[in-house]
Amino acid sequence: MSLDISFIGILIGSIMASSVPLILAASGELITERSGVLNLGVEGMMIIGAISGFALMVITDNLFIAIVGSMLSGVIISLIFGFLTQSLLTNHVATGLALTIFGIGLSAMLGKNFVGIPGKEFPVLFSSLRESIPFFGPILFGHSIVLYFAFALPFLTNYFLKKTKLGLVVRAVGDSPVSASNQGINVILVRYCCILYGGAMCGLAGAYLSLIYTPQWIENMTAGRGWIALALVVFATWSPIKVLIGALIFGGITILQLHMQAIGFRIPVQFLSALPYLMTIIVLVVISRDSRKIKLNTPTSLGRIFYKEK
Amino acid sequence: MATDLRISNISKIYPGCVANDNVSLQFKSGKIYALLGENGAGKSTLVKILSGVISPDNGEVFLNKKNLKLSSPLDAKKNKIGMVFQHFNLFETLSVFENLSIDATEDNKSLRVRINEILKKYNFSINLDVPVLNLSAGQKQKVEIIRCLLRSPKVLIMDEPTSVLTEQETEELFISLKKFCDEGILIIYITHKLKEVLSLCDEVAVMRKGKVVSVSQTQNEKVETLANKMVGQKLAKIKKKINISKNKDEIFKVKHLNFYSDDPFETNLVNLNFSVKKGECLGIAGISGNGQNELFQILSGEIITPDTSIIFRNKEIAKLNPKQRREYLMAFSPEDRISQAAVPELKIYENVALNNFKSSNFFEKGLVNERKIKEHSKKILSDFSVNTDNVELKSQFLSGGNLQKLILGRELITAPELLICYNPTWGLDVGAINYIHETLIKINDQEKSTILISTDTEELLKLSDRIAVIYKGKLSKIMPSEEVTPEKLGVLMGGGSID
Repeated sequence: MSLDISFIGILIGSIMASSVPLILAASGELITERSGVLNLGVEGMMIIGAISGFALMVITDNLFIAIVGSMLSGVIISLIFGFLTQSLLTNHVATGLALTIFGIGLSAMLGKNFVGIPGKEFPVLFSSLRESIPFFGPILFGHSIVLYFAFALPFLTNYFLKKTKLGLVVRAVGDSPVSASNQGINVILVRYCCILYGGAMCGLAGAYLSLIYTPQWIENMTAGRGWIALALVVFATWSPIKVLIGALIFGGITILQLHMQAIGFRIPVQFLSALPYLMTIIVLVVISRDSRKIKLNTPTSLGRIFYKEK
Repeated sequence: MATDLRISNISKIYPGCVANDNVSLQFKSGKIYALLGENGAGKSTLVKILSGVISPDNGEVFLNKKNLKLSSPLDAKKNKIGMVFQHFNLFETLSVFENLSIDATEDNKSLRVRINEILKKYNFSINLDVPVLNLSAGQKQKVEIIRCLLRSPKVLIMDEPTSVLTEQETEELFISLKKFCDEGILIIYITHKLKEVLSLCDEVAVMRKGKVVSVSQTQNEKVETLANKMVGQKLAKIKKKINISKNKDEIFKVKHLNFYSDDPFETNLVNLNFSVKKGECLGIAGISGNGQNELFQILSGEIITPDTSIIFRNKEIAKLNPKQRREYLMAFSPEDRISQAAVPELKIYENVALNNFKSSNFFEKGLVNERKIKEHSKKILSDFSVNTDNVELKSQFLSGGNLQKLILGRELITAPELLICYNPTWGLDVGAINYIHETLIKINDQEKSTILISTDTEELLKLSDRIAVIYKGKLSKIMPSEEVTPEKLGVLMGGGSID
């Protein structure tokens, strides 16, 4: 294994691919949390997205239906969360945890007959350019459309939150639902929408895993990525761009430490495996030091139950 | 066009409480109306109904003879009823402009133009692009007012607007309100402060226990008559008999108190020296923000400053933390009852137990002795006539007055030699203020001392034996209170000199 320039290009390409599910799930959760809702069910929604995407692909043999279906399944399962927390006013934390446990269990049951079925190859874009341009080719080209979408998403999210009226409404609801309600904003509706959007993105993140990244169904294949995505949102202090940076660092060090293990570095394997978590936290803590900005970005009402006075 | 607002037979019943009982009132534009009542009299419920936040069980609202259906805040907005709530309805982390644009129908450019016109017209100076959390309370209120003005309201309702304002901000507010009134906006001013009613309003309606008990012209009223209507009984006049005696021991002595902070929101204190005698009340006057916060925190031990000497009962305590100072029989009542003195989410008896004083037997071998704490809490509730006997009640459900009584009760039950309080009657109604004042006087009668830091000059003149004024972190000379007049205090509080 030589460290030539094209190898580094391929390495970066694979790092990008590995961070896609984190970016998608974290961007979705970011919107949910910005509206003041703490949904700890990210892992559960992702795994449901993964199995429904894969199952639909096997059944319909149509990748488009599979992708859309996985997002819909994310929406449906997050609707359960939305109904419980927004309409029945249950505790966000407990409900989110239950959602994750439920999702993992349900996906294992649904997925029983799909274990061992080979996946289908997902079409990639610009694959000819990938080969012809050294270094930049493997970085920029030959990826699935979902990856391009994922990398655009943090910027779109940032634009949505900062520049659009709806984004302003979402931030306002997350800041003070009581004030928003007194201003005539339908807080419950806004929060429902944000929860469902978060569900859709988590579903897509799951489908990316089972249809594109490792095209097959394995029980519990999200392997804690949902929790990482949740942590990313907090450590990135609810800033979409920092979520992207964090996801890339996490993906990058995960891939790098695998290579280091393969090369046979004389560092304990356990330490190497822990490295991505440590580094992501350290880097995000360092880039998010500005306490004033943290205060401005943190949704003040996060996780608090809101009910309207009658 | 003249505006005519009529409320007809409004009732709202909460479980265990009639908030509004058949309330009927009539308002016409060109006048400022006061809605006066103690905390819990039903004023806030009524304005929440008018602004569409809650719906009445019964009754109707007419604006210019049109029957309004106010089932959401949007309805109130549509009908041009503007409302500035007591607790601001602003989004702290959003910028001023974002706060104003959130319910605007026009594009940002023309909105900015209109906001700037309003700023200019009423002489408001507010930076539109800073987050609201950086603004002072007075500025936040202006943002709320601008939000109403943007919708060219016919009716503007102000709910306890001055409870968070400094005196200067209050004056500015009154000037603006009079301008709005001249422009034909009908103004309803909700308050429990009698002086404001007399100086600002034309007509006053008094509410008590959910009912309107009187409607009258303010020119026919005096502070005493309004107070009696509001409380429903004759209030005893309190006046302390001053007990200055030169030969009494100094119990508390502060020397070379200096405080320097980099935080632009904190005030530096410059070489403060004072002492308190046994059984004396030392009043410290000043407009808020002149260093009272810092002074209170240093006296209570929340901030430890180097080189300061604080002698209390012949011991040096300048380096001790609040808990240790309490063990020497000091007690503290901070300004912010909700966030500094008590934990609102905890039950009454839990809050009582928070002052883990050594002499108490609340804790045994690290375990909480719940029975003893509850007995003790019950005693506080009855001794200090707190309006409940349920020690399991969460403290947040107590009104300001009752919470203050609870806190004072908690502090005083150890029989402290010195009580330091900061704005003890802030935001309270007349009845509660009277009670707190009586309690503070009683403390002095028992030969215990108090330091009263307050922004209320009337209170200071009533309770203090000697008074000093704090201005920009410096303390004036300490004067016997019989030599002090409100005018003198006013001059000193504004940074002037009286010699």
